[in-house]
Amino acid sequence: MTRRLSILLLTAPSMIVLLGVFLIPMLMMFLLSLQDETEQFSLQNYLLLVQDPYYLELLGRTIRVSLWTVLCTLVLGFPVAMFMAGASGRMRGIVAMLILAPHLISVVIRNFGWVVILGEKGWINETLLSLGVIDQPLRLLYNELGVVIGLTDAFIAYMVLAIATSLYAIDTSLYKASAILGASHIRTFFTVTLPLSLPGVVAGITLVFSLSMSAFVTPALMGGTSVKVIPVSAYEQIMTTLNWPLGAALAFMLLGSSILLVTLFARLVETKRYKEVFSA
Amino acid sequence: MKKINWLGVLTIVVLILVNLPFLIIIPSSFTAAGYLAFPPDGFSWQWYAKIFDRPEFIDSFLFSLQLAAVTAVLSTLIGTLAAFALSKYTFRGSRVLNALMLSPLTVPTLIIGIAALMFFTRIGLAGTFTGLLLAHILISIPYVVRLVLTGLSTFDYTLEKAGYMLGARPLRVFWDVTLPLIRPAIVSGMIFSFLTSFDNVTVSLFLVAPGTTTLPLTIFSYMQETLDPLVASVSTVVILLSLVFIVLLEKVYGLERLFGLNSQSH
Repeated sequence: MTRRLSILLLTAPSMIVLLGVFLIPMLMMFLLSLQDETEQFSLQNYLLLVQDPYYLELLGRTIRVSLWTVLCTLVLGFPVAMFMAGASGRMRGIVAMLILAPHLISVVIRNFGWVVILGEKGWINETLLSLGVIDQPLRLLYNELGVVIGLTDAFIAYMVLAIATSLYAIDTSLYKASAILGASHIRTFFTVTLPLSLPGVVAGITLVFSLSMSAFVTPALMGGTSVKVIPVSAYEQIMTTLNWPLGAALAFMLLGSSILLVTLFARLVETKRYKEVFSA
Repeated sequence: MKKINWLGVLTIVVLILVNLPFLIIIPSSFTAAGYLAFPPDGFSWQWYAKIFDRPEFIDSFLFSLQLAAVTAVLSTLIGTLAAFALSKYTFRGSRVLNALMLSPLTVPTLIIGIAALMFFTRIGLAGTFTGLLLAHILISIPYVVRLVLTGLSTFDYTLEKAGYMLGARPLRVFWDVTLPLIRPAIVSGMIFSFLTSFDNVTVSLFLVAPGTTTLPLTIFSYMQETLDPLVASVSTVVILLSLVFIVLLEKVYGLERLFGLNSQSH
């Protein structure tokens, strides 16, 4: 068998799947997003998205919820990553298992758990009511707070792992050097640990932000009807309203804004303050 | 006085938080009451018995198992072949091909689902098992390719040559030499594909046929209407089943290593 033929035979099945379920459909979706009601070429869907305040608000909410999620995963994830980096192999394995395993269990089920915890008659509200701390149930669900809690839980593993990976790479003698030179723990953290972990932090932020932008299940289950985000709206346009061209345009608006923001962010950190860290 | 290890304390808090949903769901499923509550009122198996009164849960569970099993086998096969081509040969366009194989990961699965629905409607695959299966294979292939490529990166091709020199045919060489050495990567690719398919909501959402739907979707739509302990009992079954596969993955490959390769699934 010739080399060429082997390559062709080995890659053909995956190329067929890739073409038939990904490349051609994406192209078709793009063409569909450029159609009006009479199937004529038109930019009206995209114009609607940028002109109608409703869709701009939708985009704003999607970005806002994603930014909060990034912040929460960063604040909660950084200590875990630091703990993992400093732990022994066995301890590190246990922590990794406990933070990564839940991630492989259906997100629908995790969201369900949060609904039981945060709902009006949920665990937290019932406990606080019976303790007399509050006399009205708190609204922890079906608002942006609920969505951010759900998304933080869903994506924290990515943040932890991204940061942990860059922390593992730090030469521990740097910590010793810093201590010998008389720096406090806090000083060492800000002048050694944090700057050197930045590539991981940036990777984590990028990953969690793009995942949050396109999350559908959590906003649908924990946001309710009042906290609509672009993915939920795109779903409705396609499955309920049956306005496929507008649904397709919404999908591209999501993809485009997510890529744009991530690129801008990468530019910002790479060209401004931390250039030396990234070029190393 | 011993200094408190704040990092350790914070880590424990986060670990409890991410596992809290499961710590709540499992006990809630054993409640004797007719409503969802934590801590549960009394103990009974009634909500497990009630699963059998709801054929949609049983049917979609069996359907999801089948779909995930077929997806796992086919995507592992297809992905492994591609990884072999990419690892063994460097050819014109091999880097482009590599990037292309991984590209479904960079696009949200929701968008893949929408695009597939639009195209499948045109060619008559919408609402068919084949269409759903193809989409599940597509989202699993990148993981298989990456895992197997990593497995092959340390593989010594002179071992294959030795096999040939000893007179073995290509298939025999593959079976007796290559496969045993990269088996962990292939097996974890298969388990990971299974879990990816079994848990998927956002692709299936657009591609299932009315009447035959997957378990996560059934739970998803049930949850939007009612919240009762039935969801808790069904979820507990899924949690336990997933745990079996997660432990397998950890044993075969190691979760931390696996996640280094992984980048999205929501």
